[in-house]
Amino acid sequence: MARRKIYKKHDLATLADLTHGQKAKVVKLNTIDKALRRRLLDMGITEGVQIKIKRIAPLGDPYDIELRGYELCLRKKDLSLIDVEVIS
Amino acid sequence: MKVALIGNQNSGKTTLFNLLTGHNQKIGNWPGVTIERKEGRIRSTDFDIIDLPGIYSLSPYTIEEEISRKYLFEDNVDLILNIIDSTNLERSLYLTTQLLELDIPVIVALNMSDIALQRGIDIDYKYLEEKLDTTMIPISALKKTGVFDLIQVIKSQAYRKNNYTHIYDHELEDCLKKIESEIKHDHERYIAVKLIENDPDFEEFHQNGSKKIVETLCMTYNRDMEQIIADERYRYIENIRDESIKSSKQNMTVTDKLDRIFLNRFLAIPIFILIMFSVYYLAAGPVGSATVNFVIKYMDIFSLWMSQRLDVWGASAWSKSLVVDGIFAGVGAILSFLPQLAILFLLISFLETTGYMSRIAFFLDKVFQKVGLSGKSLIPFIIGSGCSIPAIMSARTIHDETEKKMTILLTPFVPCSAKLPIIVLFAGYFFGDYSGLVSVSLYFFAVIVIILSALIMKTILFKGKTTSFILELPNYKLPNYRYIFKDVFDKVFAFVKQAGSIIVIASIAVWFLLNFSFRLEYGIESSASMLAGIGKLFSWIFYPFLGTFSWEATVSAIQGLVAKEQIVASMAIIAGNSEQVNDGIFIFNSAAFSFFTPASAYAFMVFNLFSAPCFGAIGAMRRELGTTKRMWKAVFFQTGIAWLMATLVYQFLHIFEVVL
Repeated sequence: MARRKIYKKHDLATLADLTHGQKAKVVKLNTIDKALRRRLLDMGITEGVQIKIKRIAPLGDPYDIELRGYELCLRKKDLSLIDVEVIS
Repeated sequence: MKVALIGNQNSGKTTLFNLLTGHNQKIGNWPGVTIERKEGRIRSTDFDIIDLPGIYSLSPYTIEEEISRKYLFEDNVDLILNIIDSTNLERSLYLTTQLLELDIPVIVALNMSDIALQRGIDIDYKYLEEKLDTTMIPISALKKTGVFDLIQVIKSQAYRKNNYTHIYDHELEDCLKKIESEIKHDHERYIAVKLIENDPDFEEFHQNGSKKIVETLCMTYNRDMEQIIADERYRYIENIRDESIKSSKQNMTVTDKLDRIFLNRFLAIPIFILIMFSVYYLAAGPVGSATVNFVIKYMDIFSLWMSQRLDVWGASAWSKSLVVDGIFAGVGAILSFLPQLAILFLLISFLETTGYMSRIAFFLDKVFQKVGLSGKSLIPFIIGSGCSIPAIMSARTIHDETEKKMTILLTPFVPCSAKLPIIVLFAGYFFGDYSGLVSVSLYFFAVIVIILSALIMKTILFKGKTTSFILELPNYKLPNYRYIFKDVFDKVFAFVKQAGSIIVIASIAVWFLLNFSFRLEYGIESSASMLAGIGKLFSWIFYPFLGTFSWEATVSAIQGLVAKEQIVASMAIIAGNSEQVNDGIFIFNSAAFSFFTPASAYAFMVFNLFSAPCFGAIGAMRRELGTTKRMWKAVFFQTGIAWLMATLVYQFLHIFEVVL
């Protein structure tokens, strides 16, 4: 097992790179699938929104993220399409 | 007056709907899809209210959203009742901003206002009302506060007629105005926004002018317009939020505390296993079986009493047989698992309303993802080891259509309790000391068949569809027992209506075929019956895995359609024992079944375990899949897989038999 890279403040990454408890600001959605993109937007994942990785499922996927005062579960493969700037 | 009730999933929509309507509801399906449609009348008024599916947005991408959009746009709704979760204001208002763009007055019911207060979320309703220019009423559907006020406001029609608010930036607002002036249709603002979003369903409303405006806009922003609109909506909501909510510092909520245990890295799975084991124990295991035996006992007493009555009244032999062996056997089959069903629905409903079900889906999703199913598929599979019927019905909680259909199709592959007598009979006689091992091997076989079938379906039937897993983890809630009991009652009743009719009709048909010859004589040997004739006609299907043409085995398997335990009973009867002593030695030494070898015995078990389930389960599949055509497809798929597996097993094992 390769050690996971730990991303620090001001680093650019995707949401899937972050680990439990980290916070980040959404920079860009790289989703190609229009339906998924719209779904993420509708759920409040818009540019500039703050997201916290609240929990990772016991098996490592999906992630439970916190944004706009509520919690949402997403699969890693979808999270890897969301570019973020790490806050903490 | 037509009122449309609309809100996010988990916003308490159903609870409010039940409160508003009491018991006069009509439950059906939306045309062409298997999504439930509820309609009712608001208490003490003559207003009709319709419960639209739980959605987060009015986008053109999901079936639920499609239904809601169409309904609001085309069905002349007089009032929208938008229920939102006060503890989740920001995301909930997103849908509200979309609803306000329609030419329909909106009342916003802020549900769970009591919980919001407890959490120190102080909402300035007056400010919200002013800002959005729409009536806001704080309620708690669970505690029933504010609901009376809500009905009064609807009745008096003293609500704001929301004459539109500005929510976008200047440039967008200007363009919207220009486009609106060109549209000759109601809901012009809504349409204008959809045109800017390039919504495929609204192309027809484009005029030359509006096309140009939208093109210029796209050039200016040089980004996806859907995203611009979503960004703008949320920006507006954030501004309102900052002005209208005074939130004291959040400390850890109860939900967080519970999740530290239930979603703990090490404890999550053991706790889940424990909970599932309890569900199984209560529903399919000892407790559930006890209820089944209890009902069967009294059904037998009643059926005996009935047959004596019929004797007293001097009924003919065939009519007595029709009542006792046909109708009672069929009705008994349904009634016997009604209590089991009710227990199951109760537990499932409990797990759902508390919010635990969503968490199961969350931490098991990874396992099921690999074969194209969802974390929620596990529940039907577990229940299926008791009985397929409630299991198939519990698949309703899976939101994704494809995953739901696949789960419904795969659930009957889990050997249900009615299939146990088959295993006991065959394994006990042919594999003696190894019968336990053989029984276990069949369960492993089932798992393999499920995984293989899922992969086949994923690659052939639903190819190229990757579903995304987007799930909101709701807060843990204490269940509302009145609501749960109502829910259970509805489901049980629906089951009796649907499966009941199918089982009774099918039972009578099988009884008729078994007791009459083609010349319609009654009181014949079973070998002269119509069913035997049909058995002879179809025995070639069974040849590849029995190694012989046996109408007796064929007929027994066909009878498994009424109920799987019928297979053993039928074999006992054909072997010449009307007393139905299911004794392996007796059955397999009779002329009819002496052809069985260990290989064909194992293959016959495999076929009966995985072929079409009983009529009750087929009825449940019909109901949950939505069309008869899909039901037939499912039945053929299952039977095809079973035939293939049985044949492979027999041919493989037969080689050993020949060699040894």
